[in-house]
Amino acid sequence: MRNKTKLPNVYLGIIMCLMYMPILLVIIFSFNESKITSVWAGFSLKWYKELFNDKSMFDALVNSLILGACSSLAAGVIGTLGAVGMSRKHLKTNGIIEYVSTLPIMIPEIILGMVFLVFFSLIGLPFGMTSLIIAHTTFSVPYVFMLVKARLVGIDKSYVEAARDLGASETRAFWDITVPLVTPAILSGMMLAFAMSFDDVIISTFVTGAKTTTLPLKIYTQLKTGISPKINAICTLMFVVTLALVIGSQMLNKNKKQ
Amino acid sequence: MKNKKTSKISLAMLAPIYIFTIIFVALPLVYMFLLSFLKQAESWGVIYEFTLKNYLDILEPIYLTTFVESFKLAVITTLLVVIIGYPFGYFMAKLSAKWRGRMMLLLMVPFWTNSLIRLYGWIIIFRANGPLDKILMFFGITQEPLKLLYTYPAVVVGMVYALVPFMILAVFSSVEKMDWSLVEASRDLGATSFEAFRTVTLPLTLPGLLSGIILTFVPSMGLFFIADILGGNKVVLVGNVIQEQLMKAHNWPFAAALAVILMLMTSILIYTYRKITKVNELEGIL
Amino acid sequence: MKRLIALSLALVLSLSLFAGCAKEEESKTMTLFTWEGMFPQEVLDGFTEETGIEINYVNFDFDETMLAKLEAAEGGEYDLIIADDYIIETAIAQGLVQKLDKNSIKNVGNVNPFYQGQFFDPNNEYTVPYGAGVMALAYNPANVEKEITSYEDLWDASLSEKIGVVGNYRVVNGMALKTMGESYNTNDVAVIEEAGAKMLELAPNIRLIKDDNIQDDLVSGEIDVAVMYTSQVTLAMLANPDLKVVFPEEGFGFGIMAQFIPSKAPNAANAHKFIDYILQPEISKQCYEWMGYYCTNAKADSLIEDAYKSFLTLPADVDASSAEMIQNISAEADAAHTKVWTEFKAACGQ
Repeated sequence: MRNKTKLPNVYLGIIMCLMYMPILLVIIFSFNESKITSVWAGFSLKWYKELFNDKSMFDALVNSLILGACSSLAAGVIGTLGAVGMSRKHLKTNGIIEYVSTLPIMIPEIILGMVFLVFFSLIGLPFGMTSLIIAHTTFSVPYVFMLVKARLVGIDKSYVEAARDLGASETRAFWDITVPLVTPAILSGMMLAFAMSFDDVIISTFVTGAKTTTLPLKIYTQLKTGISPKINAICTLMFVVTLALVIGSQMLNKNKKQ
Repeated sequence: MKNKKTSKISLAMLAPIYIFTIIFVALPLVYMFLLSFLKQAESWGVIYEFTLKNYLDILEPIYLTTFVESFKLAVITTLLVVIIGYPFGYFMAKLSAKWRGRMMLLLMVPFWTNSLIRLYGWIIIFRANGPLDKILMFFGITQEPLKLLYTYPAVVVGMVYALVPFMILAVFSSVEKMDWSLVEASRDLGATSFEAFRTVTLPLTLPGLLSGIILTFVPSMGLFFIADILGGNKVVLVGNVIQEQLMKAHNWPFAAALAVILMLMTSILIYTYRKITKVNELEGIL
Repeated sequence: MKRLIALSLALVLSLSLFAGCAKEEESKTMTLFTWEGMFPQEVLDGFTEETGIEINYVNFDFDETMLAKLEAAEGGEYDLIIADDYIIETAIAQGLVQKLDKNSIKNVGNVNPFYQGQFFDPNNEYTVPYGAGVMALAYNPANVEKEITSYEDLWDASLSEKIGVVGNYRVVNGMALKTMGESYNTNDVAVIEEAGAKMLELAPNIRLIKDDNIQDDLVSGEIDVAVMYTSQVTLAMLANPDLKVVFPEEGFGFGIMAQFIPSKAPNAANAHKFIDYILQPEISKQCYEWMGYYCTNAKADSLIEDAYKSFLTLPADVDASSAEMIQNISAEADAAHTKVWTEFKAACGQ
């Protein structure tokens, strides 16, 4: 019954190309000899050389990876449990909690950052990795929560009930039925959360301490002094690495299947 | 017995989100709410004295205008995001499992590169005599540079570009789990493909569409750096005003009041939208 | 409910404990808190080589972010901060700055007295200046027929959609104030509003409002006239020597950046050493050539290379008395400024 035209694929292809176009330009300009991004002055690798000599950049990258992993993991747990819990247990307060937990993405980051700064110093939480992880988790939870919730809406309750009728324990039914069904949503929620954390500048500026810098903060402060091709070079490298990871995981999957 | 245990487990599942939300979201926001009723100190900080001045100030025509402008841009952005993102998520969910995984990752890769950098990519494209101008002029579509950078359309492109993945992922995750036999059934009963889409597919994917809309509309009300970078700071949104009040005028109470109103506005919109769509949803399924 | 509160408190406490353990105390470090790009890497490395003190270079984007964070840290955590004049005045008033031990800064006599004793630190007790700048106008004579000599000229109809300005409302609104013969620091709301009305007439000529890298837009031809900071003028002139720099007839804004040590700086002694180190003429020379701001070290002036000389000192033919520092004004006047500014920006987008 389904249409077998090529049109959808063409559409997907075009939009994908548009998404990658700005990145392609960033990559091209990372090889630019000139410091000014508006002028092409010939091919050069000097920005990569400069980058590899900059140890602080790699420290920042490590911080960002830890931060992204911790906050998206925390958000994955909190968001998933919350969404599943709310679908099973109807408390009167669920609606309010759901609403409040999504507020962090409703408020401009700048004021959220400011409020966190004051609040954290009020409760005596030192600024550094801990405060960063907490702040990032707050805006990551809604992504996981909403995607999992959207997926749960359509899942047939009868699956779980059937499992229970066949003698599966509550936990067993949860792990065997619910989790596999919502896993794609959890994963995409966590991926989004990671991406948001890996990209956040504004909230991080406020809650970071003197000893922790994240990569986006580093990039942002460097952008202030001019878009040096060095930043293009970092982005190119990051892009290449993620792409390699993606292809790698695909290959692994293939091997597993064979 | 069974029920009691179930209930306990469910409660335990709810605990993390309750505790986390109350401590780290609700309390800071209560602080912000209180802040919006305080007075600005002469040079720095706040005075703990109750006032409604901050809310009265918002009624100044210029600040009302910024709310209207933000709303307008958010609506335009969300509409475009739906138009581009919904079909994308839909088609993507219909691909084979192998390609679905690939597309998903392809979609995520750009978002692990810095968003500011990606915006600078657009600057390169839009720049006078940049790649876009060169192509258009080569084909004789335009005769001279368009000067697209620092204009409203440039801002819209930047916003759509930044937000469309949220819509795609949300739609994708609800289309993917959809029961296609319902569509086939309706086609068998003589529905045209458009009718089948309207009466079956759309209602079934509505939750995904809804969360996609929330995930795009809501942030687009507050995003300010896109208007700054691609719009040359000339499109004034609530986010920009908040940023300026906070960082340059250090009038924190006024910034807080603006944020409270912004929050209320988006909340009301989402609430109404939910109310409306919930009705449709029931109609669609029954 | 009680249990919930207890649980959450325990959570918070354990989290802060966890973070507390990660902190290490060491006196061979110094945390320098300022904007990105204030020092060439060689100078920082040179300091570490000479003294064995590692520099932890931390950045902020706005003066206000710096003060908010310094306040949250209660004057601790950071050892040396470089920021703008007006915010230092506030920081001192908040009790977040400690007096300098001038005896341990041997080179303090090198500072150009012209930049000392200013409003933010009248007795030079708390700060040592590090760079100064003016708000200058630069334009590309190849694309602008009119000869620009004053702010008033910017209102000329021939400049439609050609001007870019920095995103500092005191500076930009100040252009209108200057054409009216008023001070940047007027507290008279009526005057500020009058300036606002004049700003609306300027709006059609504005193509771009931007703080960072506005010089790139001037060099690439996206705009033809720019009102910008000294360091940006320096960069623009180095990229395109044909540009013309104008010190507007009506007078212009002027600001100083200075170093200060927070009240509870963990390594204040190291900060003093650093201040002393960069006051050495040869080191200063390197710093100013890198930064592109006016040199505040009198002993370094003669060392600066010719290519930079014209940018790093106020030109001799410019009347220094027509420069005015932008200072803190009353909250009311400030509110009037931000309102005028928002209206102006919205008008630019029409």
